[in-house]
Amino acid sequence: MTGDISYPDATQLAVPFFIAAILAEFLWIALMRRGGRYETRDAVTSLIMGAGSVAEGLLLGFIAWGFLMTLWQLTPLDMGTSIWAVLACFVLDDLRYYWVHRFGHRVRWVWASHVNHHSSQHYNLTTALRQTWTGTFTFMMVVKAPMVLLGFHPALVLFCGGLNLIYQFWIHTEAVTRLPRWFEAVMNTPSHHRAHHGRNPRYLDCNYAGVFIIWDRMFGTFVPEQNHDRPDYGLVHNIATFNPLRVAFHEWIGIFQDMAQPGLTWKQRLLYAIAPPGYSHDGSRDTSAGIKAAHLARHPEDAGTPGFGG
Amino acid sequence: MPLELLLALVLGGISGIAVLLHLTGRSRLAVLSAETARTGWLRHFPGDKISKVLPAASGQAVLVLTEGGPGLLWVFGADTVGRRLAESKIRETATGLRFEFNDFAAPGLSLPLSDGERLQWLALISPPEEAA
Repeated sequence: MTGDISYPDATQLAVPFFIAAILAEFLWIALMRRGGRYETRDAVTSLIMGAGSVAEGLLLGFIAWGFLMTLWQLTPLDMGTSIWAVLACFVLDDLRYYWVHRFGHRVRWVWASHVNHHSSQHYNLTTALRQTWTGTFTFMMVVKAPMVLLGFHPALVLFCGGLNLIYQFWIHTEAVTRLPRWFEAVMNTPSHHRAHHGRNPRYLDCNYAGVFIIWDRMFGTFVPEQNHDRPDYGLVHNIATFNPLRVAFHEWIGIFQDMAQPGLTWKQRLLYAIAPPGYSHDGSRDTSAGIKAAHLARHPEDAGTPGFGG
Repeated sequence: MPLELLLALVLGGISGIAVLLHLTGRSRLAVLSAETARTGWLRHFPGDKISKVLPAASGQAVLVLTEGGPGLLWVFGADTVGRRLAESKIRETATGLRFEFNDFAAPGLSLPLSDGERLQWLALISPPEEAA
């Protein structure tokens, strides 16, 4: 097997670039008077969430690392560290990201971690840094297991995951409208990801891609951004706090409050944790399917259009 | 990257961006009118039928009466948030009303209201026949 190998922590090295890009985007918006908007407390909250996410990685990263290294000791396969191995790992890791991200929107336990990334009503480069503090507790590191068992070293897998996140940074902007058609066909772009951040019924549960939008096209979750239905950013039920602690933990608190309600069956308690966001035992809340159905009842003309079965 | 350098970059970056945004007017709060309040409420609760909106004189919040009961829309930075008041606790304060939403993602809100506004809002939130 490949001996001890190490890769740089790409996310940490990118911090100066993140700061410079945010300043450049802000200047662009200020000078051109278009291409997005900034709000002080919203941006500061996003940046603190980003810093906290890096801190969480430093504090708890050993858990995922230990798990993956255990698997590495077990596998007889070794893909090595050639450029082809890195490229294959990057593509496979992007497929891994697609499914983790999809679980992040369809399983409330994972949504509890991911929700904070969607909790801003703004969409600019600081939103990209509004990252989770609780990713370790979703146990989604298990989705990396097949890659390690296939022979990709954990250090390489984590390195590719870092590159994936860095790619996604620049697509959190309204300053870029549309890119050449070939690029929009293959790559995740600002336009595709704006749709993903839309709370409009049309855009719920779409465009989970990290780097390559082809996964959404393959698995039927692609919805193109519509000029007549601009994404309205944020959550279906927007949070009313800039407090990073509340941002980071509000959905976890919600899960435990729901599960602790008196009079529920064990199945109902479990579903409050793992069913899609919006599940309720008495039907008092709406999942994304219910929200789309209610929208079509009000706007039947949208049936068959992108995001509504079209 | 050495931890000290990372820490300095993060703290310096956050502070610098915060100061820049504040000095260029990005801390200004939204101001609500009756019309923007209707639009804002329907953005949060698109299926609702609004019967009345009562903006506070400050423009920082609006009492919204709907077929499903009263709700509160208030300014949240440059944007708004809304909550129905059915499960909220409301009490009078020296300067207005205090709302507790029983929601970890929406900590309590103290809203300055004149005496007249406060009495009118309380009457509309809890009409006498419902309170009885």
